[in-house]
Amino acid sequence: MNDMRLEERIVQNDKIKIDAQDVQVFYGDNHAIKDVSVAIEDKTVTAFIGPSGCGKSTFLRCLNRMNDTVAGCRVEGRITLDGEDIYDKRVDPVQLRARVGMVFQKPNPFPKSIYDNVAYGPKIHGLVRGKAEMDEVVESALKRAALWKEVKDRLQAPGTGLSGGQQQRLCIARAIATAPEVLLMDEPASALDPIATAQIEELIDELRTRFAVVIVTHSMQQAARVSQKTAFFHLGNLVEYGETGQIFTTPRDPRTESYITGRIG
Amino acid sequence: MPAPWIFLIVLALAAAGYLAGRLRALAVVGGDIRRLHSLPGYYGWQAAMLAALPALLVMGLWLLIQPVVVESRVEGMIPEAAQGASLSLVMTDVRRVAEGLDLAVSTGVMSAAEATGLSADGTIRATLGKLGVALGSGVTPEVLAAAKALRTAEATGRGAMAAVVLVLALAGVAYALWRIRAEYRARNVVEAGVRGLLLLASTIAILTTAGIVLSMLFETRHFFAQYPWWKFFFGATWSPNFRGGSDLGILPLLWGTLYISFIALVVSVPIGLFAAVYMSEYAGRKFRMVAKPAIEILAGIPTIVYGLFALITVGPLLRDYFAQPLGLGASGSSVMTAGLVMGVMLIPFVSSLSDDIINAVPQSLRDGSLGLGATRSETIRQVVLPAALPGIVGAVLLAASRAIGETMIVVLGAGAAAKLDLNPFEAMTTVTVKIVSQLTGDTDFAAPETLVAFALGLTLFVLTLGLNVLALWIVRRYREQYE
Ligand SMILES: Nc1ncnc2c1ncn2[C@@H]1O[C@H](COP(=O)(O)OP(=O)(O)OP(=O)(O)O)[C@@H](O)[C@H]1O
Ligand SMILES: [Mg+2]
Repeated sequence: MNDMRLEERIVQNDKIKIDAQDVQVFYGDNHAIKDVSVAIEDKTVTAFIGPSGCGKSTFLRCLNRMNDTVAGCRVEGRITLDGEDIYDKRVDPVQLRARVGMVFQKPNPFPKSIYDNVAYGPKIHGLVRGKAEMDEVVESALKRAALWKEVKDRLQAPGTGLSGGQQQRLCIARAIATAPEVLLMDEPASALDPIATAQIEELIDELRTRFAVVIVTHSMQQAARVSQKTAFFHLGNLVEYGETGQIFTTPRDPRTESYITGRIG
Repeated sequence: MPAPWIFLIVLALAAAGYLAGRLRALAVVGGDIRRLHSLPGYYGWQAAMLAALPALLVMGLWLLIQPVVVESRVEGMIPEAAQGASLSLVMTDVRRVAEGLDLAVSTGVMSAAEATGLSADGTIRATLGKLGVALGSGVTPEVLAAAKALRTAEATGRGAMAAVVLVLALAGVAYALWRIRAEYRARNVVEAGVRGLLLLASTIAILTTAGIVLSMLFETRHFFAQYPWWKFFFGATWSPNFRGGSDLGILPLLWGTLYISFIALVVSVPIGLFAAVYMSEYAGRKFRMVAKPAIEILAGIPTIVYGLFALITVGPLLRDYFAQPLGLGASGSSVMTAGLVMGVMLIPFVSSLSDDIINAVPQSLRDGSLGLGATRSETIRQVVLPAALPGIVGAVLLAASRAIGETMIVVLGAGAAAKLDLNPFEAMTTVTVKIVSQLTGDTDFAAPETLVAFALGLTLFVLTLGLNVLALWIVRRYREQYE
């Protein structure tokens, strides 16, 4: 009996959150993603690495159907979230994006106050009742995104008036305030100084206890520090996917090895 | 020498200066252009510029100033007694006679000497009449003397101008050629010259505006010398009477203007804005390709055509189906008619400006909102429109100043009766319509009934200028946000 239960728990921990099978993405005639299959586990940080233009952002955007908004972009293959096909006709992409949040490569705060930026998601999804609760949500999101100390005295100032790195952290706060199940982060630390980067990495590690995180990064060290799984993309192909430790110490593909040792990129 | 000839000669000198400048620059370095500071063409251009610019500038100013100076001299020659009705009427005659004499000389009816030696007998009127120059009354000796003086003064002036301009052009070329050395920075000189030229172009636009305002101000002062300003600004009756004793209160006109513009905006702003939102956020590429030009066609229809539409279709329709059944009057022309039709006219203004502004909102903001699970309309309402709002307000204000200045639709749609009334199915009228009606027909530019047009025009100008400045200011603030 006991053994049975133990087995169940292990399965629970290794639960596949997002399963992508044979995904192809086309921008018009440009075949940007070729035959990519990845299983992203729940409560795990998965890192996507690869040279610029290899399709990391493109693939990331497939996972919450943000590519729907790009004219001329076509996605083929099957992607499931908790076993449910997200490209099924019955799935509402709006609902899906509330569950699979996203932080973009370039910071894009709304031209609203800092407070309203963070409160945006909770407000449209009706996640909180009353001002007091909203204040709490905003404060905790800003604290977790390591921005609270810098902005607590000017929550009503416009979000666009922050520095680039602060804007990016504001976007992270905005995404986590919406309480997603999966968080997709496209180079969240590319505009941050080492201190803020460390704070964000800490946040990512903390987020892992609650949901799946997928992070695109150009920093090998960062991938090695924060992720448990790593996927290496090259020219639209998924070259290698596995445990982060294994990828960085004993890569199976020569292309992976040259990339992480700095020979292609 | 006539002015066009002088102009052409100056241009020819400039062209010659260009060639000479080039050649001289090459000669200075013995054909080795690497030793020149600038490319040889620049040396040519600076010579051409020095030849043409000062000369043409002086010529332009001269042409503007000479008539003023000459006329004021000649005016002084006319004795008080001969002024009779008014100096300006006599001066018109003087100008006519002078022109007639010019014509007579140029067509060979008279020799130049005959024209100067002419005496004031009865034949002048007949002679000039044959040439098609009709004179109202017989030519008095004073008028003839003044006309002759006008002709001589103008001839001297033109001669002097030709001399000064040509000397300046030649001096310019000579100076430019003399300056050419290998290390001479012709490129920078040309750069400065181009800058000056551009500056000149923009000052002309500004000076024109200033000129318009000044002339309006001038006439408006005449008006307020004859009519108390408080009665103009606070008078609630508008009934001009050319025999005197008019009431010239602006309030009914201002009321009509604002009422009609208000209705026009109530129609055009929501429709235009929604059309813009649909075009930029929802419509597919194919639909947009057809619909956008189709909407913009509306902007190309002359307003008189809108006026006809108001007069023969919308007006009677409103009267028969709304005004009469509701007991609100039986007038075919009404504020509502003009407002609705003007609103349709303004739709493309609002929609195409707003469309541009909405498109300028970065896609990343939409992505950010959609990525948080917002729907399209939530994104538009909460992110796109607030971001575009200042620009949209600017667009609306521009549309408003168009509405305020519109005339044709009002004449045909709302009539010409000045009234202070709340009923939108009553005929009313606007400031612009009254300006036109005060200035058409036989007008006496000394009577307050005519001069009031300038006061009205100035008021309107101040109003629309204020709106435009506000719009520009708002649009500019918006631009800064994303750059
Ligand atoms: N909106 C688009 N329209 C057309 N082609 C696109 C679009 N976005 C990306 N692509 C193309 O798809 C390919 C992959 O781009 P993607 O942005 O996914 O690269 P990336 O791996 O994120 O690179 P980086 O590290 O520089 O961000 C590129 O060849 C790019 O030109
Ligand atoms: Mg990218």
